Amino acid sequence: MTDQEIFEHWKDKDAHLLPILQAFHDRDEHISEEAIKSIAEALRIPVAELFATVTFYHHFSRSLPGKNAPRVCTGNVCCLNGGRELLESLKAEEATAMPCAGRCDDMIPVIRGDKVYVGKDAGSLENRATPVPPRNPGKIEECIFRHIRKEGRSQMEGYRGSGGYIALEKVITLSKKELLDIVTDSKLAGRGGAGFPTGLKWKAVHEATGSPKSIICNADEGEPGCFKDRAIMDHDPHALIEGMTLAAYATGASRGFIYLRYEYPETAVILQRAIDESLNAGFLGKNILGKEGFHFDLQIRRGAGAYICGEEGSLLNSLEGKHPFPRNKPPFPVTHGFENLPTVVNNVETLASVANIVRKGARWYQSLGLGEHAGTKVISLSGDIQRPGNYEVPFGFSLQSLLHEWGGGPHEGRSIQAVTMAGLSGGFLAADDLNVTLDEASIRSKGSFLGAGGIIVFDDSRDMVSIAHDAMEFFAHESCGKCFPCRIGTQRLSERLNSNNQQLGLENWQEEIDDIGAVMKATSACGLGMAAPHITESLQRYFPEKIKTHLNHSN
Amino acid sequence: MIALKDKSSGTVVGSVTIDGELVEFHQGETIYQVAERCRREVPTLCYDKRLEAFGACRLCVVEVEGIRNPVASCTTAASEGMIIKTKTKAVDKYRKTLLEMVASENRNLDIDALAGYASQELGTLLDRYKANNGRFEGKQSGESNEDDKNPFILRDYDNCISCYRCVRVCAEQEGDHAINVMNRGFHTQITTEFGNDLRDSQCTFCGQCVQTCPTGALTDKKAIRAKDLPGDISKTRSVCPYCGVGCAVDLLTKNDRVVGIQPAMDGPANEGALCIKGQYAFDFVHHPDRLTKPLIRQPDGNFREAEWEEALEAAAEGFTKVREKYGRHAIYGIASGRAPHEAAYMVQKFIRAGFGTNYIDNCSRS
Repeated sequence: MTDQEIFEHWKDKDAHLLPILQAFHDRDEHISEEAIKSIAEALRIPVAELFATVTFYHHFSRSLPGKNAPRVCTGNVCCLNGGRELLESLKAEEATAMPCAGRCDDMIPVIRGDKVYVGKDAGSLENRATPVPPRNPGKIEECIFRHIRKEGRSQMEGYRGSGGYIALEKVITLSKKELLDIVTDSKLAGRGGAGFPTGLKWKAVHEATGSPKSIICNADEGEPGCFKDRAIMDHDPHALIEGMTLAAYATGASRGFIYLRYEYPETAVILQRAIDESLNAGFLGKNILGKEGFHFDLQIRRGAGAYICGEEGSLLNSLEGKHPFPRNKPPFPVTHGFENLPTVVNNVETLASVANIVRKGARWYQSLGLGEHAGTKVISLSGDIQRPGNYEVPFGFSLQSLLHEWGGGPHEGRSIQAVTMAGLSGGFLAADDLNVTLDEASIRSKGSFLGAGGIIVFDDSRDMVSIAHDAMEFFAHESCGKCFPCRIGTQRLSERLNSNNQQLGLENWQEEIDDIGAVMKATSACGLGMAAPHITESLQRYFPEKIKTHLNHSN
Repeated sequence: MIALKDKSSGTVVGSVTIDGELVEFHQGETIYQVAERCRREVPTLCYDKRLEAFGACRLCVVEVEGIRNPVASCTTAASEGMIIKTKTKAVDKYRKTLLEMVASENRNLDIDALAGYASQELGTLLDRYKANNGRFEGKQSGESNEDDKNPFILRDYDNCISCYRCVRVCAEQEGDHAINVMNRGFHTQITTEFGNDLRDSQCTFCGQCVQTCPTGALTDKKAIRAKDLPGDISKTRSVCPYCGVGCAVDLLTKNDRVVGIQPAMDGPANEGALCIKGQYAFDFVHHPDRLTKPLIRQPDGNFREAEWEEALEAAAEGFTKVREKYGRHAIYGIASGRAPHEAAYMVQKFIRAGFGTNYIDNCSRS
């Protein structure tokens, strides 16, 4: 395709900067200076501004070998499995490191172009499908994974064969209010980690003035140790599409976007096929299921490597082609979202739950939780555990049962030293605090949070200070650089966890860590900077002796 | 209650309590603006009141009752009934820690005031909070670009704190969009497109980035030459002589020599803006070739110095001769584009009433 053909193809479509950049990146395998100038001119963006935006995303190469050079995951989990060694062994092919690529229930992922390979070492790399979530041994009822293991579920026939689009057919006979009530009564809340009640959010968008409204699915699953959205989208893409269409019905939105992380190229293909099938079957597009005036256009937009784009303000800026900094809140996206118009931003898991909730009822969904807790949560379990994978647990379920009964416990002869919560953002839990139940109240009482539901296990053979250092390096790598506490704080914390250059005595070390942590938690502009100090805080709480050794050794 | 003096500039929509005092506020006013109006000392580094609030430095955080974390006052709108505390022990501690962190990423904190209008902001805050104490030592950010080949702007990013004021002033005030950033996080680097020199970018060398820089990372190359000259810097308010806009400037002098120019932030016509000429083209002031007395051409073609009276008489005689010999339409007046309105008026009056011709024009047209 020539430059002009690319511009021509995208010029009338919404949110077109990212796909145009991707088109150049696909065609030339990198984004050259000429490409930046050409795009800047065509879209009337100042060259310096476009240059800034391109350099923000770490998966956009600006020189050859670019897109097809291997990118090797050196996330926390992959480092346990030899990610760094694999990177080293592919250096001849100009391999580069990338942060967690969301494949932690498998071997180390390596991205080459639009294919993801997994393997233990260079010789064993193979391209294979995302693992299907394992069944839980307790035969506990599921919502989101209810049908995901059915053969052919990812395609229209299989989806229809297991109750697919029945919810949508039912809903168009209901009023918007009736649908909003079902979602509200189910007590479904944001499963990306923020936990905002979904019914309330949809209602706010329904009531907001301004159109067109948008439904945006946050599929930028960037949190290390989280890979649930990938499993949902790869094996049950229609559930997400149906959920988004239901959201569109409830709110009156006519535009939809799935903001998919760069690291899931094959998921984009699966989703696009499902969107096309859905469009052909009349579940998407104009006058859906013959209902006059019910239009919903659904598009995929791929990210380009930036954890911060999972933050909704950054995501919206990124979609709009702006520099992906978080937005100042208020105003919130429900009134000022995509193009400053009312917008629902929901996580994949949240949206993909809705069809089953509508089909089986709000009460049913509520009753899946234990005790006073409503509903379920998918936990991505990985690290030093026998059966890693995505498990849908009832809220209130015991962490120990998940680790030992469902996950099979640590490897032979090992014991669990610590686990992370919320991927890395919740920091560590260890010792007696592992006796929590999986719900926000219980986990927050230990100074952590459940978040998106990633739990990484570290056994007693691991060096916790070094694990903490890797975690903080991740946050430093992903800090957008706008607000001072996060930009400088993540860097300074990471330096203080690095074993190679410690000049500080224990007392000064602790004071500095505490002061930086406090200022980050209190004054950072978004969740990244507020969450990162959980790592150092929990390290100090559970492993004071290891910190002493860390400082003694480096001195 | 502190009532608004100037109620015409906006609708009063409510009141907030700032440090125990009830204060009215306007539609759209931020907490920072209200606090500033009430003379509260809220520190900032990324704030420039001419620019859209950005919320990067977080120094302006204040406590608001009912909100768990302190909020950035520059980006938070005041709303009815807010109870705000601009100075508490906790907030002060955050500010000090933030400043210590900023100090730790910069190499040079002793910046000469000739560097630029705002160049002392960081240093002043570091002194006020006693924050330059060597804590949080570590890697330093920014890569210097001192070699940028241009005679006006020194780009020493060793001292950059990535407050984005230069980027924003270039885009929002000047409309040039010449500078932006590359990369992110600690590797954020203020730069031009593709990291080129300024002269290869959209830069017009208006110098506004230099004047808003709070650390001296961007320095006025011409002014800083006088750094080691003896004497104090004095500022004299004047008006830029280059065109009729009337930009207010502060002439920086040392021992009666003009060493630099800074835009007046309160200049009614320019509000801190200048162009390349007003900002940097002042060398003629002390140039040896500068005319300081009228010159009259001698019959041999050489000039000789004269007093004003003699010179004006010679000029009048010349004009009269031309008119008598060739008629009134042989005279053609051209007013300088640098002349203000009043002077241009005088020129046309002089030509029309004095000589009786309409041959009058302006240099920018003829």
